[in-house]
Amino acid sequence: MAWRLGVDSGGTFTDLCLFEEATGRIAVWKVSSTPDDPSRAIAEGAAEAIARVGGSPGDLGYFGHGTTVATNALIQHRGVRTGLLVTDGFRDLLEIGRQRRPDLYDLQVEKPPVLVARDLRLQIPERLRHDGSIETALDEAAVREAARALRAAGVAAVAVCFLYSFVNPAHEARARAILVEELPDAFLTASHAVAPEFREYERLSTAVVNAYLGPVMQGYIRRLAERLTALGITAAPHLTQSNGGVIGLEAAAAMPARMVLSGPSTGVIGAQAVGRLAGFPDLITFDMGGTSTDVALLPGGEPRLAGEAVLHGYPIKAPMLDIHTVGAGGGSIAHVDGGGLLKVGPRSAGAAPGPVCYGLGNADPTVTDANIMLGTLHPTHLLGGRLPVRRDLAVEAITRLAEQLGMEPMATAQGIIAVVTANMARAIRVISVQRGHDPRDYALMAFGGAGPLHAARLARELEMPRVLVPRNPGILCAMGLLLTDLRADFAATRLTPLAAGLAPMREAFAALEREATAWFAQEGIAPEAQRLRRSIDMRYAGQNYELPIPLPPGEPGPATLAALAEAFAAEHARLYGFIAEEDPVQLVTFRLEATGIVPKAQLPALPESGPDATAALAGERRVWLPEAGGFTTVPVYARERLRPGYRLLGPALVEQMDSTTLVLPGMTARTDAHETLILEEGA
Amino acid sequence: MIDPITVEVIGSALASIVEEMGEALIRASHSTNIKERRDCSTALFEPEGRTLCQAEHIPIHLGSFIGLIPHILKRHPVAEMRPGDVFIGNDAYEGGGTHLPDIVLAEPVFIEGRIAAWAVNLAHHSDFADRGHAHIYQEGLRIPPIRLYRAGELQRDVQELILLNCQVPRERLSDLRAQMAANRLGVQRYAALSAKYGAATVAEAGAALLDYAERKMRAGIAAIPDGTYRFADRHDSPEIEGELDLSVEITVAGDAMRLHFDGPPQVRAGINMVMTALQATVYYAVKAVVDPTLPPNAGLARPLTITATEGSVVNCTLPAAVNARLSTCQRVVDLILGALAAAVPGRVTAAHNGACVVASFVGRQPGTGEPWVYLETIGGGFGARATRDGLDGVHVHTTNTSNLPVEALENEYPLTLMRYELVEDSGGPGRQRGGMAIRRVYRAEADCRLRVDGSRLRSRPWGLFGGEPGGHGEFRFAPGVTPFALGNGDLKAGQWVEIITPGAGGYGPPEERSPEAVARDLAEGRISPETARRAYRALAPR
Repeated sequence: MAWRLGVDSGGTFTDLCLFEEATGRIAVWKVSSTPDDPSRAIAEGAAEAIARVGGSPGDLGYFGHGTTVATNALIQHRGVRTGLLVTDGFRDLLEIGRQRRPDLYDLQVEKPPVLVARDLRLQIPERLRHDGSIETALDEAAVREAARALRAAGVAAVAVCFLYSFVNPAHEARARAILVEELPDAFLTASHAVAPEFREYERLSTAVVNAYLGPVMQGYIRRLAERLTALGITAAPHLTQSNGGVIGLEAAAAMPARMVLSGPSTGVIGAQAVGRLAGFPDLITFDMGGTSTDVALLPGGEPRLAGEAVLHGYPIKAPMLDIHTVGAGGGSIAHVDGGGLLKVGPRSAGAAPGPVCYGLGNADPTVTDANIMLGTLHPTHLLGGRLPVRRDLAVEAITRLAEQLGMEPMATAQGIIAVVTANMARAIRVISVQRGHDPRDYALMAFGGAGPLHAARLARELEMPRVLVPRNPGILCAMGLLLTDLRADFAATRLTPLAAGLAPMREAFAALEREATAWFAQEGIAPEAQRLRRSIDMRYAGQNYELPIPLPPGEPGPATLAALAEAFAAEHARLYGFIAEEDPVQLVTFRLEATGIVPKAQLPALPESGPDATAALAGERRVWLPEAGGFTTVPVYARERLRPGYRLLGPALVEQMDSTTLVLPGMTARTDAHETLILEEGA
Repeated sequence: MIDPITVEVIGSALASIVEEMGEALIRASHSTNIKERRDCSTALFEPEGRTLCQAEHIPIHLGSFIGLIPHILKRHPVAEMRPGDVFIGNDAYEGGGTHLPDIVLAEPVFIEGRIAAWAVNLAHHSDFADRGHAHIYQEGLRIPPIRLYRAGELQRDVQELILLNCQVPRERLSDLRAQMAANRLGVQRYAALSAKYGAATVAEAGAALLDYAERKMRAGIAAIPDGTYRFADRHDSPEIEGELDLSVEITVAGDAMRLHFDGPPQVRAGINMVMTALQATVYYAVKAVVDPTLPPNAGLARPLTITATEGSVVNCTLPAAVNARLSTCQRVVDLILGALAAAVPGRVTAAHNGACVVASFVGRQPGTGEPWVYLETIGGGFGARATRDGLDGVHVHTTNTSNLPVEALENEYPLTLMRYELVEDSGGPGRQRGGMAIRRVYRAEADCRLRVDGSRLRSRPWGLFGGEPGGHGEFRFAPGVTPFALGNGDLKAGQWVEIITPGAGGYGPPEERSPEAVARDLAEGRISPETARRAYRALAPR
């Protein structure tokens, strides 16, 4: 039980992070991904990584895994042929959705493809009323007939979504039981089991996505388990979910709709751990890669949880970290549009042909090319020397752009950075100011290949006081896998006035706690490792967006209602600037977050050296810095030689294999005991 | 001279501000029409009233925004304005509005003692229901732009006067507060942006963004062949007998476009459009055809000259009623698309559903006796494109509201939704098929008043280049329902109404449609075997 392994499987690379429990030693490894069957690269990479540290597969005590299998199958529409049973009269709900078109002005726009063909959406006579009472009983014969029709049509999965199943699941449960009899091999999803909350379209969409992805995820998990067993890995693998927690393979296979943010969520969890160790738990994460950037907010050191998001055009109601993605990264292409303004993205040069400086035929300048021209990135090579680049080509391409703009070439290169920084600032405003949080109260945690290079300017733009760069910004997701707990979220919607809320509250939480207990047992979590956190989504009667309010600990009593009312009013005032005293308050959804605390990688603190960073100095180069009035000679430090305690004065560059950190003039950078680089304004 | 990069950076920040205002408005509001259906808009304006930036909500709302600030300035000297003044207005003739339920709140942003911008938002209050529409005095309370707040102080007299004229005053009050919260944010954010870059730089960037939109619009128009293009269509509504002839003449000359609209004299019904509604509609349509990525600001209007016969349904004068102007707006967009089809066939579509179908219920809650008003607009077919089928069952053109979830609708109002589906054969046959219509069947659980509105009840949305028309709209009632007059009537508990919206036209000859697409439409029940045989000449299997 000497090693713990985290594996983050992405589209290009599979990152592995090994942690030795006895010593706190961390080893990282990167292999090319095998998109046709990601489990191949994972198994091979795991074997190689363990061999390199001199261990054997049997030494692994923990195996954590983040995967993009569910997301990719959804984006590429590679799910299975899926059938659907709905309440009679609502066959087209999946297709009509909320009636809004995807773009206001684009006459050529398309809706995302519907995941269930219209002839596989079958209507079942049954109807509940809004209080859960039965208006029309379930026509069981119709369910059986529909099941047979779907079997004849060769579906591999079936979703069931009836109106008000979140209040009364009896019809859905009975229909599911009939489906089990008629289609024993199909993957089945009842909407009340994946998203027992109101708003029928979003619940339906979630159930359909879950069914559509189910067999894909099951197949992947089976192959992965077989490969790991064959390697001799005995540790039970755990997969991350969109909520940032991990679950066992069996639970993951049943709920693929909860896996769609599996990859980015672990980066947030890794950032959370690094931020806590550094003493700055309030974070905004900034994960900038080649084609896209993910940002998230962690008020009070906890990532915000969203109950619903629209992913690749499909609404999914599932507990997921509130991660906002923008389609811009290092590979985004800069261009002058028809009106003469400089725009960056959404087109990207991707990994091949990649930026102009790769010399592989792309002539459209990217953000990376601007950095090469400005000198912020090394002018002759990237990736620690493994990737030669041609600055001359980047300069040529940006000069062409400058001529179109009527600006100087260097100012144009800097302009590309300014525009991309503005795009990122806009994304961060969405997750901070739009949610009632001031970015000036947060530290910016920069990771991903391009995050550390752009973080200082982004922080200045948003007046954020500091930037944190973890020791290994390129593999933070893999490391996050070693730091995450087992986690499941349970919810029940019971619309009730606050004043009469005590009994429903007790009942709802008692039922949710029974579910959580069953889950703890299934995952084998010992009582001392079990944690429960309760919250209630509340609103003024008449509103339709709820605010999550934590429930005070202990058995709910009359004082609880007063405490909830007060907390809700305070949150409403903070977000919207007013309290509607005369309006009654409602309880809408009761939520229970169950956590199984697992022993996590404990990153040891290293002894501090003095502030003198000369030992890490690797050289210097000319960098265009408008903050310093143009070309300036900037010292370059080697990240692996930075010891805790070292201090650098900006301007400075810190280089490591897969990332470069820019420290602006006027900023100071220091390394803390966990080797996190902390950039702050002032000396 | 400000550089193009600073302009882009400040443009991004302005877009952030109007988005944030919109989110705050939607989340804090109480009425279903705003909180779920998102029938609202937010924007920033220059001191003189030119649109700086509008959030992407509802295109027609720009119509209310265009006229508002000039009307405020006409009534109130700038010298008397103070920080914390908030103006409220809704009137179509004196307040810059396009119909009375759209209530606009505008607050000046003061920087160093001068007005640097205006934060503005509009919410469609679903009130003023079950009124007459012979002229605007019947349609609700007319509010010229007056102060609701004076230097931060609520003018209670004004508020009480307004609320007494509303059927659901409590909901109005809550929504007005949400509107206040949204503007307050806009004011703060704009002031912070000015503090950061300097008020002069932000103003200069704003002016440059307008120039930018103008340049892009001119470049787009210049790519359209010069010429004069005409199109005519017939308009109808449950509110009037017979049909109205509408027409447009568009002249493209170089990088400018002139549009002249003609229609019969304004009618004693709510389907008349004021000039600002016409302008907002034209801006939407031309932007969609020329360049959908144009920033929605006042610069894009500069190359356009819009005229219409005064006193006609497309440019009405006091006291014409305007409540149901949206169906007419939808037809105006289709007119423009029809005219430009000859110039840029690849960029236009066949006729969309050409209506804004509305169901507006008014009643009292069983048990409590509380009054309730519920309004919804229903989408339909989106016209077929040169290379793509039309979209099925969506809101089109100048509106884009969400439907209310059934599980919220039935919880809040004594109504049951019995069916909600696409309508077979409503998408006009063509090489590319027109979008399908929506059917909604409601059952009243308690007695209520109902008003139904729409268009394309007498005609069908036309196809292009050999494409056939889509299905027409229709209202059907349970046996025993007393026939509705001008779209108004009563439902007794247990009675139902079925609303079928119009579909949309097809594009290109149906016989050129790929056999696979015809077979798929047939298997999926989107077309009937009869249509497969008749229009597509397909041998229907089974």
